[in-house]
Amino acid sequence: MKTLKKLLGVALAAAMVMALAACGGGGNSTPSGSGNSGGASGKPVKAMLYTNVMSLDTNLATDGDSFEVIADCIDGLTQMDADGAAVPAIAESWDIENDGTLYTFHLRDDANWSNGTPVTANDFVFAWQRGVLGNEEYGYMFSDIGQIKNAQAIMDGTADVTTLGVTAKDDKTLVVELEVPVSYFESLMYFPTFYPINQEFYEGLEEGTYGTSPDTYLSNGAFVLTDYLPGTASLSLKKNDGYYDAAKVSLSGIEYQVVGSSDNALSAFKNGSLDIVMVNGDQVSAAETDAATKDNIKVTGAGYMWYLSFSQTANNANGYLANANLRLAITNALDREALVDNYVKDGSLATYTCVPPQFAASSTTGEDFSADQTRFADVCSFDAAKAQDYLKKAQEELGVNDFKFTIIYGNNEGDEVAKVAQAIQQQIQDTLPGVTIELSNMTKAERLDKMQNDNYEIALTRWGPDYADPMTYLGMWITNNANNYGFWSNAEYDQLIADCTTGAYVTDYDARWNAMYDAETLVMNEAVIAPLYTKANANIIASNVTGVEFHPVALNRVYKNCIVQ
Amino acid sequence: MAKYILKRLGLAILTIFIITLVLFILVRIMPGNPFPSERMSAEQIAAKRLEMGLDDPIVVQFINYIKNIFVNGSFGKGSSLYNGVPIKSVLPACISNSFRIGGMAILFGTIVGLILGICAALNKNHFLDVFCTVISIIGVCVPSYVFMIYLQYFFSYKITIFPFYFDKNQFLLSAVLPAISLSLFSIATIARFTRNEMVEVMDSDYVLLAQAKGMHGAPLITKHILRNALIPIVTVLAPLIVDLLTGALVVEKIYGINGIGKLMVDAIAGEGIDYNYVLALGIIYSALYTAVMLVVDVVYGLLDPRIRVTAKRG
Repeated sequence: MKTLKKLLGVALAAAMVMALAACGGGGNSTPSGSGNSGGASGKPVKAMLYTNVMSLDTNLATDGDSFEVIADCIDGLTQMDADGAAVPAIAESWDIENDGTLYTFHLRDDANWSNGTPVTANDFVFAWQRGVLGNEEYGYMFSDIGQIKNAQAIMDGTADVTTLGVTAKDDKTLVVELEVPVSYFESLMYFPTFYPINQEFYEGLEEGTYGTSPDTYLSNGAFVLTDYLPGTASLSLKKNDGYYDAAKVSLSGIEYQVVGSSDNALSAFKNGSLDIVMVNGDQVSAAETDAATKDNIKVTGAGYMWYLSFSQTANNANGYLANANLRLAITNALDREALVDNYVKDGSLATYTCVPPQFAASSTTGEDFSADQTRFADVCSFDAAKAQDYLKKAQEELGVNDFKFTIIYGNNEGDEVAKVAQAIQQQIQDTLPGVTIELSNMTKAERLDKMQNDNYEIALTRWGPDYADPMTYLGMWITNNANNYGFWSNAEYDQLIADCTTGAYVTDYDARWNAMYDAETLVMNEAVIAPLYTKANANIIASNVTGVEFHPVALNRVYKNCIVQ
Repeated sequence: MAKYILKRLGLAILTIFIITLVLFILVRIMPGNPFPSERMSAEQIAAKRLEMGLDDPIVVQFINYIKNIFVNGSFGKGSSLYNGVPIKSVLPACISNSFRIGGMAILFGTIVGLILGICAALNKNHFLDVFCTVISIIGVCVPSYVFMIYLQYFFSYKITIFPFYFDKNQFLLSAVLPAISLSLFSIATIARFTRNEMVEVMDSDYVLLAQAKGMHGAPLITKHILRNALIPIVTVLAPLIVDLLTGALVVEKIYGINGIGKLMVDAIAGEGIDYNYVLALGIIYSALYTAVMLVVDVVYGLLDPRIRVTAKRG
C-alpha cells in the first residue's frame, strides 16, 4: 500500500510536469514590469481598470477606461490640470476672436509623434474631419457640444467635409471656427474626441487596425503603448522619452490590469500586485478597519449621477406618471441620505439637484454650479407628510387610488444597484400607501433598449458628464432629445436651453449661468426626474504612490504627474 | 473506413450549418441592442443598422453572413465590443490563450484521472478506491471557479508562488492555477468512469479466461482491460475537451485571462449584445464540438472493430 501511494505521488507529479511542458510553448518568461524605458528612473505604477479598454481610437472610444488610456498616450490641444482646468498642451497658446467664435491655436514646435514626425495642425484637421464623417457615438461633441462650424451640416449630409470649421493655416497654426461662442471650449479640447491623429501613419494601416496594437498606434503624449490587444485583460505603457514634457514625467510606465469584479481587487492590492484599486461600498467598510488599508482610502467623485426616470407617455402605466403631483410624491418619499449611508457606502453624495455637484464650476466665480444642495430641498427632500399630500392630490386628479409601477434596473451596473433598487421600493411603499412598486432587473443593454423604446414605467438610471458645464445634464430634457426618456416637454424650458446654447445668452456668461438655474428649477419643480446620488469612487492607493489626478469628467485618472517612490 | 469517415464528415458539416442558422436567428431575437448608445441619435443608429445590413430580410442577412465567411474569411466587425475592429484580428490571441490553458487542463486532467481511476479499480473497496471516490465527488460538485479563487488565495496571495493575475509574459507560471482548477472536473469525471468501466471489464468472462491462461499485470491491464474500458471514456472525454478548450467563462474572468470564454461573456453581458461576436464564438464552439465528436466516432471505429463493421453494413 505504501509503495503504491509513493508511486501515485510520483505519477501525479510526472503528469503535471508533462502537462506543463507540453502546452507551455510560446510564452517567454520575462517578468512583467520589466519594460521600463531606458531613460526613466522611476518605477511603473500598477493600476486596476474596471472594464476592458474597448478602443484606443479617439473617434470610436466611448468609455472612461478607454479615454484614460488614450489620454496617457496622446495630448490634445489642451490638457487637464489637477483641478480640471484646461492648460496648454500641444497648443502652447491661442487667440480668441469674433466674440469667441474664432480660435487660433499655436502649436508647440517640439511636439513629436513617437515615430519621430512632428505633430502638425493637419493632424487635428484630419482627426476632426474623420470624426465628423464617421459620426460615431461621440460625434455630437463636434456638433451640439463643440459647435464646430458646419459639423452638423456635414453629419446631415448637406455639406462637404472640407467645409468643417477647422483649418491648418500652416504646420503649427490651427484655426477653429465655431457656429456660436462656447464658454467651455478650451476644456473640450482635452476630451479625447478632439485629439489629433497622424494622417500618414493612419493611412498606411490596414482598415480597422488603428489602435489595436502597439505597432498600430502613435503617441505624442507622456506614455507609449508597449503591450495591448483588443480584449486583453492587461496592458502596459512605458514612458515616452520623446515627449516634449518628458522631464516632468517620473513614472517609467503604467501596468494596467482589468479586474472584472472588485472582489479580489483588495487582495491584489494587499499583496502588492496592484497599486491602485477601486473597491465597492462593502469593501470600504472592511478596508477602514484593516490596518493594511485604512490610511490608503481615497474617495474621488466619479461624476455620474443616478436618478429615477419616469415615463410620462400614455404607453406606460396608463400615463399616470405624466401627473406631476404623483412624481413629486415619489421624489419626496425617497430618503437619499439613507440610500448612500446604508447601501452605496462608498462616499457617494445624496443629490437634490438635477445637475450633480463637483464637476461644473463657474469660470467667473469659481463656484460649483450645484454646491448648494438645499436649493431644491423643498421639492425633493424626504418628507413623508408632504409626499402623502402630493399623492392625495394625484389620486384626486387622476381619479385613481392605487398605483402599481415597475422599476427597471441593470444587474451589471455595479454591486450596489440592486440594493438601492430594493431600498427605493421599500421607501416608496412605506411612505405612500396605495403605491405598489415591483422590481425588474436586466442587463444594462436591455434597460437602455426599453428606455429608448419607451417601454418602461420607472427606471433606475445614470448619466455621466461629458464636459464641464451644466448643459451636459440640462440638454437632456429638451423636447425630443434622445436622452429625454420621460418624454417631458416644456416650451419655456426649451427656449431657455436654446438661449443658453445658441441664442441670447451665449455671449453673456453670468446671464447664461443664471438662466441654467431657471431651467433646472423647471425640471425640479415638476420632478421630471428624481435625482438620487452622485457616485463616488472609493480608491485604495499604495502609500508610495502620489500625484495621480482624479477627475469626475472627461479623464477619470491622469498619471502624468504620478510618482512611485 | 473511408466511407464511414466521409459519412460522418457530411453529417458534421450539416450540423454546423444548422447550428449557425439557429444561432443567427436566436441572436437577433435576443433582448438588447448591438448599438447600446445613449449618445447616438436615432439617425445615427439607423445609419449603423444600415451599414451592418440589420434592416434586410433575415434570409438575405444570413446569406450575406455565410458569403462573407467563405468569400472574405471574415466574421465581420465588432459593434458593442471593440467597435469597428475586425473580429478576426481579435480572435487569434483569445483562442490561443484558451486553447493552451485548456490543453494543459485536458492533458493534466486525463493523465491524473486515468491514473486515479486505474488505481481505484485495482484496489476496489480499499482505501485508494474510497479516496478516488471522494476526489470525484468533490471535483464534480465544486465549480472550477471556486477552486480558482482558493488556489489564487493560497498560492498567489498567502504564499506568492504564482502571479495574482494572468500574465502572458510568464505564461507557464500564470497558466498553472487556471489549468489545475479547470482540470479538476475532468479528473473527477475520468477517474470515476475509468474505475467503473474497469471494474465491469475486470469481472467479465474474457478477463477471467485471460487470467486463467496465466496473463497478469501490465499486459492484462493495457491489452484487455483498459482497451475495452476506454470506449465509454472517450465519449465523456470529448465534450470535456471542448468545454476546456473553449475557455472557462468565470475562471478566465477571475484570473484576467484574455480568452474566448471571457470574450463570450463580454459580448453578451457587456454594454450591448454584439451580434457578430456571439455568432462567431458560437460557430467556433459548435464547429469544435462537432469536430471532436467526429474524431471520437473515428476513434471508436479504431478501438472497437464492431462499430466499423456495422457502419460498413449500414
